[in-house]
Amino acid sequence: MPATTIAAPAALEIHESGDAALRVVATSGNAEADWATVHSLAGWLATAGVDGVHGAVPTYDSVLVEFDPYVTSARQVRAFVLLAMRQLDFTGATVREPRRFEVPVVYGGSYGPDLDRVAAQQGLDAADVIARHTEKTYVIRCLGAPAGSPMMDGPDFPFPVPRLKDPRLSVPAGAVSVAGRQAVIAPATAPGGWCVIGQTPLTVLDATREPLVPYVPGDELRFYAIPEKDFEDLAGKFLEARP
Amino acid sequence: MTGSLTILQPGHSVVTDLGRTKGPAFGLPVNGALDQFSAKAANILAGNTDNEPLLEITALDFRMRATTDLLIAVTGAPLDLTVGGRDCPQWEPVSVRAGETVAVRGIRTGLRAYIAVHGSFTVPTLLDSCAPDTVVGFGLKLLEGTELATQKTTAPITQPHYGLPLFRLGLTKPDFSTHPVIDVTDGPDVAEFGNTADLLFTSQYTVSPRSNHIGLRLGGALPERQLTSEVLSRGVPVGAIEVPSREELLVLHRGRGVTAGYPVLAVVTSRSLDVLAQARPGHTITFRKTTVADATATHRAACLELDRLRSTIQTVFGLLGIGAGERWHELSPASGS
Repeated sequence: MPATTIAAPAALEIHESGDAALRVVATSGNAEADWATVHSLAGWLATAGVDGVHGAVPTYDSVLVEFDPYVTSARQVRAFVLLAMRQLDFTGATVREPRRFEVPVVYGGSYGPDLDRVAAQQGLDAADVIARHTEKTYVIRCLGAPAGSPMMDGPDFPFPVPRLKDPRLSVPAGAVSVAGRQAVIAPATAPGGWCVIGQTPLTVLDATREPLVPYVPGDELRFYAIPEKDFEDLAGKFLEARP
Repeated sequence: MTGSLTILQPGHSVVTDLGRTKGPAFGLPVNGALDQFSAKAANILAGNTDNEPLLEITALDFRMRATTDLLIAVTGAPLDLTVGGRDCPQWEPVSVRAGETVAVRGIRTGLRAYIAVHGSFTVPTLLDSCAPDTVVGFGLKLLEGTELATQKTTAPITQPHYGLPLFRLGLTKPDFSTHPVIDVTDGPDVAEFGNTADLLFTSQYTVSPRSNHIGLRLGGALPERQLTSEVLSRGVPVGAIEVPSREELLVLHRGRGVTAGYPVLAVVTSRSLDVLAQARPGHTITFRKTTVADATATHRAACLELDRLRSTIQTVFGLLGIGAGERWHELSPASGS
């Protein structure tokens, strides 16, 4: 099935992704606009509560819409997505006021085993890497794997950060990492190939609470450096939005 | 009246359901029973609604003891089922008397079996599902001695006419094969693989022992991506076939991370994902191309088969006076409620 493209305001392609999902891609070429489009679309689908549509997974320029092919079909969901886009055109995206999160981080040492490697690769001092990592206000772009990781556009580094040649089998919860032009915090212990430059003592994910993670795409986040001796004091506290 | 059972030999078993369909929107994989057809059939045969918690048993032998009278149904891969030492059939409701041991031994040809218990289990849920999530550390651990409470107990169903089978349900059991044919549709990124995409349909693939609920790794001729540009992370469907390394194909199953940056070559159909869930390391797989329309029709035919089974079971159980509870009358999602 060829991709469908609709015209203004947001160019859109809809691709088949098996019998139980569609991939919708925003193709305006403007990253910020595409991100807003796919997240608005995902939000609209979630609140519409359409029979047979399980949910939507928005990332940067695309959203995966999953459905039960017994109750509905790729054809119907495709039609529904096009309808949703028209609806969004009329109403405009409702932009929620972003919440702010502040994340304490112990950088380097055993908390951030790749800090020196990243510094060397960027031609910076470790202190410069920390300064650049802490000076930016990040927008959480999407929730990724594993376990609702907050995916963010990375710090203002000279070069993209290469992934590790040999991914670690286990990266601890709270690990603060960079790769390519992205930054992330690990909510749960999992394998990982990103460069770990620090660790936050805060608990990001709690499987006994809903929502599991406290942030949603669009929220803002900043990091600040803390000395190693403060790690234990803060350990186990939950990451919460600034009041 | 509530019942219970005790796990004697957990093997490799979990309590699960049809999955956490709300999970992906929050970055959690859907998880849940890997062979959805067998899991639904087990629940239907036990007089439950399709999505109720049940046991998924992978590869290893399993035993449990009923503390109260129970009604169970065992589906999935071929195996030897005994209750209180008696051989019992799979894919049928089976009565278990208080104190009897249910043993599942010798799972073969396939990999996974399902045991549903009438009245299901009372277990913790996350986002409306009890399915274990190993990454976030959610799920009930089944150990020797774990006791599971069931919401009902069922007096034994006795066969008044000796020698006749108790049930004639007319269910077509799935085929289990050491060389399954797996239907796939073109993935959204198939064009990136150029002419090499067709290799998928001309070679055989062997299931690697490094396969699990997250994905199956398959050895064989590998299509190659013709581009080198970076791919932004995006949502990937269950069933996505990727070529992440030069050694193996990766077929994502229900435990897959919801986002990834690899191009999707093809997507396994819903019906064939059930077949893949039964593929053992060493089994060989052939892929066959289909269309989304045909895949949907095949999936719906299987669902209709289960609808017929549900209808038959409701009639039979109604006559026997089992399962007249409130839960019993819940409409399945497909009945347009």
